[in-house]
Amino acid sequence: MPDPLQTKDILLRMQDDLRRALEKPPQQRRWVMVIDLRRCIGCHACTVACVAENKLPPGVVYRPVLEEEFGSYPKVTRRFLPRPCLQCDNPPCTPVCPVHATYRDENGVVIVDYEQCIGCRYCITACPYAARTFDFGRTYTDGTAEAEGLILGRSRADDYERAANFEYGVPHARIGSEESPIGNVRKCHFCLHRLAAGILPACTTTCIGRATLFGDANDPDSLVTEMIARPNVIRLKEELGTQPRVYYLV
Amino acid sequence: MLKRIAYVVSILALLAGAWGLYDRLVNGHQNAAYGSYVVWGLWVAMYLFFAGIAAGAFMIATLDLLFGIRVMRGIGRLALWVALVSLAAALLSIWLDLGHMMRIWKVYLQGSIGSVMAQMVWGYTAFGLLTLVCLILAIARPAARLLRVLMIIGLPLSLFISGAVGALLGVEASRMFWHIGLLPVQFPVFSLASGTAAMLVAVGLFGSRQDPLRSEQLRLLSLATVVLTIVKLYFLWADFSQSMYGNVPQNVKAVEAVMYGQYWWAFWILQLLLGSFVPAVVLALPGPGRNGHWAGWMGVLVLVGFAAARANIVFPALTVPELEALTTAFTGPHLTFEYFPSLMEWAVTAGITGMAILAFLIGSDLLPLRAKMEVA
Repeated sequence: MPDPLQTKDILLRMQDDLRRALEKPPQQRRWVMVIDLRRCIGCHACTVACVAENKLPPGVVYRPVLEEEFGSYPKVTRRFLPRPCLQCDNPPCTPVCPVHATYRDENGVVIVDYEQCIGCRYCITACPYAARTFDFGRTYTDGTAEAEGLILGRSRADDYERAANFEYGVPHARIGSEESPIGNVRKCHFCLHRLAAGILPACTTTCIGRATLFGDANDPDSLVTEMIARPNVIRLKEELGTQPRVYYLV
Repeated sequence: MLKRIAYVVSILALLAGAWGLYDRLVNGHQNAAYGSYVVWGLWVAMYLFFAGIAAGAFMIATLDLLFGIRVMRGIGRLALWVALVSLAAALLSIWLDLGHMMRIWKVYLQGSIGSVMAQMVWGYTAFGLLTLVCLILAIARPAARLLRVLMIIGLPLSLFISGAVGALLGVEASRMFWHIGLLPVQFPVFSLASGTAAMLVAVGLFGSRQDPLRSEQLRLLSLATVVLTIVKLYFLWADFSQSMYGNVPQNVKAVEAVMYGQYWWAFWILQLLLGSFVPAVVLALPGPGRNGHWAGWMGVLVLVGFAAARANIVFPALTVPELEALTTAFTGPHLTFEYFPSLMEWAVTAGITGMAILAFLIGSDLLPLRAKMEVA
């Protein structure tokens, strides 16, 4: 059987998979991410792309890449593990929410309703993967000097990070100091706003090693369906019964 | 004299709290030391602490107002006032911890019945209202049948709410340090112990010396504190020894963080030495156990130990990374597994504590909290 990773550029194939999936009702899709750890080179491009796509402020991260080093010089090797939200089918973070602000949407993706979240952070403590972070309201331009007539300063420099992101398809501008998503718990949502527009998640399209795969696992012809059927697939902390939708090829 | 000093100290604490509150309201959570990994800090620990006192003080109040135990006569109103003041401090502490304080109404009107946190909020609200009505009745109509009915309802409710705090943490399977069946069982005992200690302070340091029952009440509260301290230490031993024997890395690391980590002094000195051993020994002696100053100050030590103990339950479990390499995966503000409360957090906590002490003092001066009783 030909290796699907060799036959066609996988981004094109995943784009085709996505197009087919979007023709189905949301309830019939099963969005899945597969991360091939053998192909990950630890460039952190996915992390940066995610930060840019969602305009994440300092201290908020959806997809860090964990690095581990083994051995001692000269026999040293490093291992990289990108960790998005694992979009568990049995998420421990949702039932603890006191106000139904976080739940699995019709696509099965775990989302946060920014206007409903009270910022208690109980869901953060419940996640066994540390996939949630709290928005403390910081900006990268905090402390930027400003002097009228001399230095343009913060009021001009922070235009970009104050501009709206479009998470969940809703514009969220960081205008004040308290408006959502400031004061909210935030997390990876598989770039639902991009999917709705027929575009793959930012981390997937940015991955230079083609290590991140995305698609509909209910589609027998999709790339991810082929990948998760392989014997070298693992899921993180599977013993907790969370049933993550992010699979790792090892 | 002591009361004057307490007034001055609590007012100074309130001033510090005013600065902290200003910072909190203007800058949100930016100047807090907790983050996205150690997500709950000093304010959550103080919430557990004050809420524990509230439930425990209510349990003590039932000895007078429900069970009519002779030696505890006249203590009920004071205990209800302690419960009410502590509960206000607890709720203020946790309210300020929310990312969106103004959305608290959602817990009442759009709450999730399956969430332990929502259940706890509803429970504490009901408990607060019930305690307030009980206090009003105990002052205005102490013989009312309704008072006894409400005390009957309040006793299991106080057990439920203090146990619910344990359950709030205990249900989290991802935190091995919290995920033990013993936690919801321990918390009502902790509550009773801290409520008893608070009453030692209230009666011992601020109670009337003319009260003929005071000495006996102090002796009873002292002995109760000794027994509860022993039970508390047994729970601690059972908890830690099982964790160490079980040898689950995440759990062992949390226990080691308590005993040998950055908070070792809080565990060994505040929680064990000053908060447990010293008061247990002193209060077991018949003389100091009846003496207002000795008993009162030992009550203060027990409370300090409990504050440290609550913190030692909340922080260490969160300082252990869920995934080992997370510590270096992505850096930024509020992304650290180390935690020591910031100046703003301390200031707010000082203010809330000052507010609680001040409210207690004003109430004990202005309200008829100690009934003029006839001694049989």
